[in-house]
Amino acid sequence: MSVLSVAEMRPGRAPEPESFAAPSLTAVPTVRRRRRGLMAGVIALLLLALGAVLIVNIHVANSQYQVVQMNNTHESLVHENASLTQQVQVLQSPQSLSSSAVTLGMVMPASAGTFELDTAAVLSGAEAASSEERPTNFVSAPSTAGADATAPVDVAERAEGAPGGLLGAGALHTLITGDAGQNSSDENQSGEADRTDPTRGGGTIDAPSLD
Amino acid sequence: MNRILSFRMRIGLAIVLAMLVLLSGRLFHVQGLDTAGHAQEAVSARLASVEVPGVRGDILDADGQVMATAVEHYDIVADPRIVGDYTVDDEDLGLQRPVTVEETADELAEVLDEDADELLGKLTDDDTHYAVLSRSVTPEVRQEVKDLQAPGIYAEPVPERTYPSGPVAGSILGFVGSDGPLEGIEAAADEHLSGEPGERIYEVGADGVRIPTATYEEVPAVDGQDVRLTIDQDLQWFAQEAVAQKTNEYSAEWGNATVADLDTGEILAMADSQTVDPAEPGETDELFRRPLALTQDFEPGSGGKSVTFAMALEEGVTSPTESYTVPYKYTSDGQTIQNARSHEDYDMTAAGIYARSYNTGTVMIGNQVDEQTRYDYLRQTGYGQPLDIGLGSEAKSILRPPEEWDNRQPMTTQFGQGYTGSVLHTVQMNQMIANGGVKQPLRIIDAYVDPDGTEHPVESQQERIFSESTSEEMLKLMEGVVDYGSGQGAAIDGYRVGGKTSTAEAAGDNGGFDGYTVNFTGVAPLDDPQFVVSVTVHRPSGSFGDWELADAFSEIMSHTLASYDVPPSGSESEAYDGFVGERQDYPW
Repeated sequence: MSVLSVAEMRPGRAPEPESFAAPSLTAVPTVRRRRRGLMAGVIALLLLALGAVLIVNIHVANSQYQVVQMNNTHESLVHENASLTQQVQVLQSPQSLSSSAVTLGMVMPASAGTFELDTAAVLSGAEAASSEERPTNFVSAPSTAGADATAPVDVAERAEGAPGGLLGAGALHTLITGDAGQNSSDENQSGEADRTDPTRGGGTIDAPSLD
Repeated sequence: MNRILSFRMRIGLAIVLAMLVLLSGRLFHVQGLDTAGHAQEAVSARLASVEVPGVRGDILDADGQVMATAVEHYDIVADPRIVGDYTVDDEDLGLQRPVTVEETADELAEVLDEDADELLGKLTDDDTHYAVLSRSVTPEVRQEVKDLQAPGIYAEPVPERTYPSGPVAGSILGFVGSDGPLEGIEAAADEHLSGEPGERIYEVGADGVRIPTATYEEVPAVDGQDVRLTIDQDLQWFAQEAVAQKTNEYSAEWGNATVADLDTGEILAMADSQTVDPAEPGETDELFRRPLALTQDFEPGSGGKSVTFAMALEEGVTSPTESYTVPYKYTSDGQTIQNARSHEDYDMTAAGIYARSYNTGTVMIGNQVDEQTRYDYLRQTGYGQPLDIGLGSEAKSILRPPEEWDNRQPMTTQFGQGYTGSVLHTVQMNQMIANGGVKQPLRIIDAYVDPDGTEHPVESQQERIFSESTSEEMLKLMEGVVDYGSGQGAAIDGYRVGGKTSTAEAAGDNGGFDGYTVNFTGVAPLDDPQFVVSVTVHRPSGSFGDWELADAFSEIMSHTLASYDVPPSGSESEAYDGFVGERQDYPW
């Protein structure tokens, strides 16, 4: 680009020797004035072009660095996600569930009563669960969740700033309530739905209907 | 005036022209002469290539719960040729702050938890361009290192394993050492789990930062397959707790509880009294780093009578109701055997002999078949042959052929002594007897799952060993054991349960017997047998008769039945009478 413009400048200067040969001619100054305007225009165009190139260049470079930065953010979010997934997996392990259940005051189940619907015969008697029957804890907790795990994150706290809809708070809601799992029926996709269903009386098995 | 102007302009023009000549000369040199060479030199000076490891597959339980997974960790490495003093933007001061190599080493030492002098040595070692500063750090640590902005220090991703359930099924999962997988599924299915590494090529500037617009090539890595086990992690945990409690109660050397699906041969749980946490294998006694059901072979004891009875029924030499006069001691070929407790001679049925587990009666029945046939049946039920469930190593069983038997072995092999087998041999034998006589090889790998979700199920060949009628009669004999025999504690309300107790003498290191191996193996529900549970405790303290495993069996079996939604049937027992005549309550 700059090579071209220099070439353009040459013809502008070439007439100069003519001015020494015929200084008395009057037509020259007007020509010069016109040429000066042309030169100014060319230079202005040149500067404009240079400026434009510069701006585009700066913009491209900036965007590229922005891309790198966003990649880095993406990467760190992926890591955080992985770390949180790991936490969830650890919390889903049987011994963690067991100790959480004990913390909530739950005990081992006793046998449930069963009866044959056709004959109304009692197959096995029900037994009340004893408050003494806590699960043993011979199996130690996983050591994976060591000191290097990410600090637990309060997901609800982040929900405030999240956008709505499928990708934002909605997705977060799915995260918090969890997926249906194998025991849920299709129409009750989340644990919350189970709890609010009046026919269930707070449990997961349908309560008997009165009508 | 004009003259001066034009003179100045000429000078300016000359300068401009001179610069132009210079520039175009350089341009010509670079662009015109050896273009490719120059470009190549420049690019290769900036090119960096990093290996991208293929992600190792997960190990999943039967429900798809993750039991072992790959996480990305990093090796922090330095290129000492690039490492040096540098400056960072100090936000607090708003100035460029110089940082010396020594300071870098100190800062790294803190982040990586390594010795500062050692790190400084590595950072300034000019003989190499690759020095590992720290191995397998978490992404968080890597970020801290990155934040130092020190030149010449890189993070290389390395695969690392985590085991979210810790010691649940730890010995089955196995573990990975620094040089690769060492035990369990990690080692056995390594070919499936490990992926193909790829490569990432990019250009870096003088400051060690990737140039955003420049070359970037990536040969994608191929991820490994997931391995889905037949293990149910919740049931596995339950069984581990139950067997640990029993082993603890009897201060035994070890205990094991194994649960298998009769129809498919799938092992649902293989629980040991202690289990290695694959994340910390060194902290567990060596015995418990591999599955005991696989590694420990012992004389099966009375459980082995099942083979004798199934054989006798199959060969038609007895029926469950056939009567025998059963003495406390019995002599055959000059060898005398006896029962566990002394008793009068009883008129018993074959079913009663099995239910009360009388050695004498068993030998009276088994002796009607020749030695070679008895040996063949033992072989067919899996004894004397290694048993492979897909865990790399095979379960051992030692059974000598009849021509190598000593004087007592013709008798002892009929009641489970004089040969050895593992827990898995016991489970497999009971599986084929309870599954209509059809052997479905035990296995622990359900399927290999490709990264795109395609499943490759592991198939196994079934084989008929006993007739269906033998199987049906055997189930009734096993029901007798729980109804009125030696395993009454195994009963589960609402279900028909069958099983066999076993208290075998355990051979010591110096020849004789110096302990016991106690076992209870049972199946339920007998209307349509679905599960076999085998509980074993090796070398419990105390004396013969002190130990009861039927309750642990009952606990695990009822949990299994409930977890798999098997409804109680409430049907009547079909067990045969144990004694001839009306009276059934003879003393033990």
